[in-house]
Amino acid sequence: MRKVCKFLFKLLLICGGIYAALFAVFFFDLDGKALFYGVEPFLVKHYDKMPRRDPLSKAYDVGGEKEE
Amino acid sequence: MKKLDLQKLKSTDWKKLAKDFWYGKPHGEQRLGDLYQSKTGLYKHREWRGVKDTFYYFHNIWLYNYAHMVMDIMRFGGPVTFARGLWRYRWMGQTYLPVLHWFDRGLEGMRGEALRASAWHYRAMVNVSINQFMDMFKADGNLRGGEHNDAWYHAIAHKETVWGGVFYPWADRFKHIPMEMIPYFVTCHVNNHTVLNYIDAVQSIGLPGDPCPMCQAEAGLFVLDDMPDYAPFMVTTNEACDGSVASTAVQDWFMDVPLFAMPQPMQFDDPLVQEHCANEIRELWKFVEEQTGVAPNLKLLREKLESQNKLQRFEWEKWDVDANTPYYPINGVAQALYRIYQTQYGDHPIWHDTDKKVRRIMEKCVAEKIETFPKTRHRVIAWSCAPLYYSHWCTWAYNCWGLNCVINMDSLMFDMTIRTDDLDDTLLDMARYHEWAPMRRMAVGGMHHIFELWENMERFHCDMVMMYDQLQCKGMQGVVGLFEDEFRARNIHAIWMPHALPDKRTVSRAEIRRIINDYMTTVMQEEPLDPSLLDFDDSESW
Repeated sequence: MRKVCKFLFKLLLICGGIYAALFAVFFFDLDGKALFYGVEPFLVKHYDKMPRRDPLSKAYDVGGEKEE
Repeated sequence: MKKLDLQKLKSTDWKKLAKDFWYGKPHGEQRLGDLYQSKTGLYKHREWRGVKDTFYYFHNIWLYNYAHMVMDIMRFGGPVTFARGLWRYRWMGQTYLPVLHWFDRGLEGMRGEALRASAWHYRAMVNVSINQFMDMFKADGNLRGGEHNDAWYHAIAHKETVWGGVFYPWADRFKHIPMEMIPYFVTCHVNNHTVLNYIDAVQSIGLPGDPCPMCQAEAGLFVLDDMPDYAPFMVTTNEACDGSVASTAVQDWFMDVPLFAMPQPMQFDDPLVQEHCANEIRELWKFVEEQTGVAPNLKLLREKLESQNKLQRFEWEKWDVDANTPYYPINGVAQALYRIYQTQYGDHPIWHDTDKKVRRIMEKCVAEKIETFPKTRHRVIAWSCAPLYYSHWCTWAYNCWGLNCVINMDSLMFDMTIRTDDLDDTLLDMARYHEWAPMRRMAVGGMHHIFELWENMERFHCDMVMMYDQLQCKGMQGVVGLFEDEFRARNIHAIWMPHALPDKRTVSRAEIRRIINDYMTTVMQEEPLDPSLLDFDDSESW
């Protein structure tokens, strides 16, 4: 019984800690700040240097006839 | 160490402090502008709305939506598909991760039932958006080295201005996915940085800067090779105007798949055009049948249309409350975006779930006479097409000036149910519905339609007009003088809001606020409710 109580108390502490941490992330807009200063610049760099096909090199096929 | 200021402590009104903590500061004392970090629009800290509403926001909006976004991703295709799409497409990674900030901007200052009902609208839009991009990624040949899977063969690509309802007869076996709704339209509202890449891309190949930036951005997606290859054929239209025809040429070039063009008449009041339009839908169905090998299921069409009609009937109930009482719990931006998204995309289970929740909230407001926007000084109708990068201007305008935007033109577009008892009547109604699309019915559908503003002002008991002025829309530019004459003759307070649809560089959000501030101080001679919102720099914000 004592063990169970101890376990439940620990679980409560952990859950309370997670809850408090999540509330801090929410209240201080830490999710927004991480996305704005970290994730977005990282992804933008990735997209900027990504090799892409050049769609302009493709002929415009009108009615089945290729225009070169 | 700072010395304790006993004088200050003594003069502190502890009772008021406790009340503000428990209930939140009353409107006007909130100083919402002080919460922003300069330029980025990020919050030093999110708003304290009182214990009940802050924890409602934390649990039922912030946590709930993050959790449900993960659940939606699992449900609609799984984390691997999501991660591959995110890594491949700029519009995905750059735009949709900060989606909770989109909620924040739209819901600033909201309390009680208005906060709850408006947030449910946002949740529905997030669900449908995730559903669409996951369907795209599941079928996408670009993510599979050009290989086409079963999902690709069961997808229908169409312009976002083709109403999704024309594909109802295949709804049980094929996914209809608008090409630009997620990569372009929704991005502008959530993160206005992304779209600039596509506008610049299309101008870099020689397009001048003055055509409609919506069409520019839609074409730019293809120029930047940022469009998933997710369907074996596509359906296009000249909706909203002939600018779409030009972007279709680029899409036809770069997609290079069989295409069906379904034009709609500009002057749709002519009774002779109705049959022609109905026949266009029949022709479209023949095309889809040829491409898929599956005949249209008319029983399914009827079921889906009846389901959609239910949504419309509830919308009419909402408008009744909105027009005739102060108990309507949906703010201007939630009303506008939810309605345009729902009616353009077509029937989806989440719209029904949302309407049920909103009905409960609205009925509570009416039964208990809850004034949802108690600081309303003016009831505003917004007319013409809105700045996509500042669709939440109405939240700011309410908080700063008490301008309550109760209805807008886009909401009033598809204002009809569709008959389902006879196929010929159904097709005629479907044609009519399609003709009443955004930026078509009022904006280019003829002079008396754009002047429906006056009867809607009366219907919704509005005393002010927010007149959008899309600087690159040649159609609407032609009627500016006529509106000015009418506003003068009718003695109506109207504020012209210039903008360039998705492109914040032409008229910034700060400039829009300055124009409204100037009108409110010089013409209306009013004082702001929250002076901290008059002037702030959000030039780099999402």
